[in-house]
Amino acid sequence: MPLSTQSQGDAEQYVLVASLDNARNLSNILKAITFKDYAIFSATPNGLKVTVEDSKCLQANAFIQSEIFQEYTIKEDSVGFQVNLTVLLDCLNIFGGTTAPGVSTALRMCYKGYGYPLTLFLEEGGVVTVCKINTQEPEEPVDFEFCSTNVTNKVILQSESLKEAFSELDMTSEVLEITMSPSQPYFRLSTFGNSGSAHYDYPKDSDMMELFKCTKTQTNRYKMSLLKPSTKALALSCKVSVRTDSRGFLSLQYLVRNDDGQICFVEYYCCPDEEVAED
Amino acid sequence: MNCVLEGNAVKAFGKAIHSLSRIGDELCLDPMSKGLALRSVNSAHSAYACFLFSPMFFQKYNLGPEQGSETVQCKLLMKSILPLFRCLASIERNVERCQIQINTPNDRVKIQFFCRHGISKTHNLCFQESEALQAVFASHLCPNVLKAPARLLGEMVMHFPVSQEEITLSITPLRVSLRNYFDGGNDHMKIMYTEMSLHPDEFDYFQIGVESDITFCLKELRGLLSFAESHCLPVSVHFGAAGKPVCFSVEDMILEASVVLSTLIDSESRGPSQPAETLTVAPRTPTRCADVVPESPGEADCRKAAVLAGMELICSLLFRAMSPELGEGLPVLACCSDEEEAEEEDVMMMMRRSPTL
Repeated sequence: MPLSTQSQGDAEQYVLVASLDNARNLSNILKAITFKDYAIFSATPNGLKVTVEDSKCLQANAFIQSEIFQEYTIKEDSVGFQVNLTVLLDCLNIFGGTTAPGVSTALRMCYKGYGYPLTLFLEEGGVVTVCKINTQEPEEPVDFEFCSTNVTNKVILQSESLKEAFSELDMTSEVLEITMSPSQPYFRLSTFGNSGSAHYDYPKDSDMMELFKCTKTQTNRYKMSLLKPSTKALALSCKVSVRTDSRGFLSLQYLVRNDDGQICFVEYYCCPDEEVAED
Repeated sequence: MNCVLEGNAVKAFGKAIHSLSRIGDELCLDPMSKGLALRSVNSAHSAYACFLFSPMFFQKYNLGPEQGSETVQCKLLMKSILPLFRCLASIERNVERCQIQINTPNDRVKIQFFCRHGISKTHNLCFQESEALQAVFASHLCPNVLKAPARLLGEMVMHFPVSQEEITLSITPLRVSLRNYFDGGNDHMKIMYTEMSLHPDEFDYFQIGVESDITFCLKELRGLLSFAESHCLPVSVHFGAAGKPVCFSVEDMILEASVVLSTLIDSESRGPSQPAETLTVAPRTPTRCADVVPESPGEADCRKAAVLAGMELICSLLFRAMSPELGEGLPVLACCSDEEEAEEEDVMMMMRRSPTL
């Protein structure tokens, strides 16, 4: 394979090498979190975590386990860097977005360590492209301190039922209000826009509802502008879990199947809007 | 008012709103004992459409007590209500029932969709109470009447590009033709002329009282034609000489819809294939009925009172000249005109459909 022969000589220098036969298995999931230019990459022996943040109020993480990669070698316990995500995606799609079935772009991603660029070897149909993307000092991602013990309400829904709701959301509303309750309306998304209000209700016994565990009635509002990017992750996913904790922080976890049917996860954390109403 | 639509009726209702959205930026909901009317007028008042759904269209149709004595028309912004019905395919797939309630006290129209999997969507839309804006059109006085099978007109207008603003419909005893219309003689070389003719036999009903060429806005009509095709309803056309409004309408047991459009005044006598240049001698800004817009609310009130008096069922549409003092020499499309029959001045006429139609 052209890619491995190219880097045979300097394999020892890389602290991280990750290869995929189909680069789309990485680029598709990264698109689900591309709402800012820069992303923090954090690689561990378990796999790759890519984090994008917005104004310390919203954080999106994409997890690609090491098993997804055809080759995954890491020489340290943790390797971190920051790159321009838009540039990375452009490189991953350098052979053009659309490909004939059966044709895919192969990727070998290599990193020598602090101060070195991220090197991508991309191959399709015998043509090889090498991209070197400058890296920066990774910022420390915000710790939202969201832990399972604090979770007050949790539902798991099939994404299909939420996709339509999210695509129809009234964008003139500044907030998206989420109500979760052990009693009516169970799970409700509400908007308050120029034309009036809208409510989307999902009852706990709906066959779209895979899990319903709500202990107390909570209503929280989140800025629409922060949550709108999560629609991309929703579009890719087949299931989504929605959790709120005692502070009203929101965790959205999306189960995404890639082209080869393997499972990856994307999660979004969001702070509630200033006035938190808990009734 | 409280009504419930089931199954396919929701999609038909949505399609009506799509058609109305081609006309104006506002939608009026008018719940009446004879049914729920949806109306829209364009800003120039040169196009009006009304969809009337009889109580049988609904699974449940109840007028509240306040509707007994007065009509409460709710005016909604089209951009508030159209998004709710934007994706008809998804409505067909997912929506089992739709409930519409008008609550006058809190100025809200509540539209609820009950969907598959127990999911429900509730929209509370703000409305304004408004004057009853209705066009009264004495179709029984129209000399020319056509009734075309459902697809015929749709297939004819398909040949015109979507950007085509206006078309001319010509009628002679031997044929009916449609051709594109453009004003301004500058771009002869860039315009594609399209004309198609139909033999009177193509129509379910053909009546010609006066040979005429009428030019009207095609874009505003497309919505109704699309609705007619989706419901396989024949389209009736009532019109007269150029300058008088034209009415396109469809009806079946449970609903009626009509679009009334003003037509260009053509002061020259015309032949079937008049070169477009001659039309430029007409006023550059085509005169349309109700460029004359009522200035004061008082006038609108008087009109409303006049309109409401003696109202009967089925569509009645006529454009009323609002301000005769506007523009001497500018002809007025309907009524207040001496050379026309005096009956036309009696604006409250209902349009009765001839049994032969």
